[in-house]
Amino acid sequence: MRESRLAMFLLVLPALAVVLALFVYPLAMSAVSSVTDKAGATTLDNFAKAWELYREDVIFTLLIVAVSTAFIGALSAGIGGYLVLGESRRAIAALRWLYRWPLFIPFIVAAQCMRTFLAKNGLMNNAFDTLGLIDVQNAVGFLDWRGIIVTFVWKQTPFVALIVAGAMASLDRSTIEAARNLGASRIRILLEIVLPQVSSAMIVGLTLSFVTMLSVLSVPIMISGGAPTMITVDMAFRINSYSDYGVANALGLISYAMTAIAAWAYLRSNAAKRGMA
Amino acid sequence: MRRSLLLSAAIALSAVLAASPGHAQRKVTLNVVTAGDQNMVDYVKDYLAPIFEKDHPDVTVKSVGTGPGDAGSQKIYEKLVAEKGNAEWDIDVAVIHQKAAGQMVSEGLLAAYVNDVATGKLVHSPAASNSLGANVAGYVIPMFNSQTAIAYNSQLVKDPPGTYADLVKWVDANPKKFGYNGIKGGMSGVSFVVGWIYAYTPDAEKLMKGPYDPNLKGTWDAAWSSLKAFNEKVVLTPGNAGTLDMLGRGEIEMGPVWVDMFYTWQADGKLPPSVKLKLIGPGMPGQPMYYTVPAKAANKKLAEQFIELATSPKVQADGIVKRFNWYPGIDATEVKSQLDDATWNKLFVDVTPQDLQTKGKTFPITPYFNDILEGYEKKVQ
Repeated sequence: MRESRLAMFLLVLPALAVVLALFVYPLAMSAVSSVTDKAGATTLDNFAKAWELYREDVIFTLLIVAVSTAFIGALSAGIGGYLVLGESRRAIAALRWLYRWPLFIPFIVAAQCMRTFLAKNGLMNNAFDTLGLIDVQNAVGFLDWRGIIVTFVWKQTPFVALIVAGAMASLDRSTIEAARNLGASRIRILLEIVLPQVSSAMIVGLTLSFVTMLSVLSVPIMISGGAPTMITVDMAFRINSYSDYGVANALGLISYAMTAIAAWAYLRSNAAKRGMA
Repeated sequence: MRRSLLLSAAIALSAVLAASPGHAQRKVTLNVVTAGDQNMVDYVKDYLAPIFEKDHPDVTVKSVGTGPGDAGSQKIYEKLVAEKGNAEWDIDVAVIHQKAAGQMVSEGLLAAYVNDVATGKLVHSPAASNSLGANVAGYVIPMFNSQTAIAYNSQLVKDPPGTYADLVKWVDANPKKFGYNGIKGGMSGVSFVVGWIYAYTPDAEKLMKGPYDPNLKGTWDAAWSSLKAFNEKVVLTPGNAGTLDMLGRGEIEMGPVWVDMFYTWQADGKLPPSVKLKLIGPGMPGQPMYYTVPAKAANKKLAEQFIELATSPKVQADGIVKRFNWYPGIDATEVKSQLDDATWNKLFVDVTPQDLQTKGKTFPITPYFNDILEGYEKKVQ
């Protein structure tokens, strides 16, 4: 018995060590640094400064990520729903093949593509111009907050759709067939039969997306030059321009607080699932 | 922190490897450590090292990069401080930014080598003696000078503004046709903002030379509010490259750029030839990087010979001007005779040597620099 306990401990040890070394230790250091001034004294000045200079950016970040998450949820429900409920086999096959592509593209590459795609005289507006839909001279570029949202949604939708579509595929189809027999429309089946049954998978996917988007630096820095901007940009700026790790870490802790909300939702949905099982 | 640790570990390791006495022919290794982007490391490794090794068959040049920006120079500084007690230091030539140079001279980490090097007499720019307020005469030779200027599309802008005041008028008449990248997306935007403060406060000289007065930043409110109004009528671009991208696509007609990046992009065909440069008054900042020799460098004599080669008119002409589109570190007049007219004209036709002398400014001393950046964060954006 004792031996097996030791073996269990040894088995857990690598994972535990990784969590301690790569998460708990940096988190603690970050927390300490955020309440320490340059002379080494304990202070809340870093948070005061973060609030004074970057509160708009904190709100902006939260809004951008929340709006993106909402779009991702709607689109992935749509994609998953069509894969389950669609009637044209060919369209389903094409969609199944196409929708995963952005998954394999890193954020920085996605941002670089969007920079030329969404610009005022970029690929998108020029294509519309060629089709005669708009006049590119009077077009607007999307390289601002809208560009950030478009990039996030484009990049993260396949990830959530993959999870949601998997959950939808494993549903008991008899409920869907029953609804169909009673004459329910496809939209209604999706909203009232399918989505409620895959909500926990949806929440997991959206939570992971939310946390990922919160931590991305390349997209806001490459897409939008204006202000307000996302707090990852501010953190990089504090460090590169002022060697100011204190305020950067204060911003980091604020970002931890935001992810904590998402983590709470994630854990709650996990617990609910366990309760169901 | 972790990154800097890793990096210094890498530097230390390569230095140990380099210094280990296993080499059969008793080859000497010259450690050249450069801050700055990868192109700096490549310049030393692929261009300078082969020339130097040809003349010195028993020497191997080892090029190590410490990363871009002032953070890269900071790592070199930290390493030398850590080695302070040793009899010999393992960095022979250090290429550093201005911020670090002043600090390292004042702390006695650098050797006053310039008088021992023949090319030391070929440098007369103020940057060779004044580094963001610190006196560095005798300790540094500029490797190159980099300058920011306003790029404009000459087909659309027939009469480009010559000063900040003219630019403001132009922007009033042509809203959303001027673009710059704020202060968080790269140094060309920072440089534009610093130039703004030089133009709209009476303090330019003091900002560049010191001494520091913490109350001065309180007097810049008018300059900030006019910049805020100016920002309403311009496009904020994503980064140094973002400004060049937008110029190339014709989305904006004007914007601040680094001269060397500008010419590299134009040579690659990413900017049309109709885009030209103008250095506007009262002036915009640029910055050099410096060749230095640490005070206890193990191979001091060789280091001096290496720098002598690197700052010779021929190498400055072929390497710095022709290959990288930087302005030469030594006096431009010394370099001119080594270059064909086409190359020379390319670099100096839009921005003349006189422009550089009168309108090429330095960045402010460090505490003022930080005040300017934070003032912008608080009052403009």
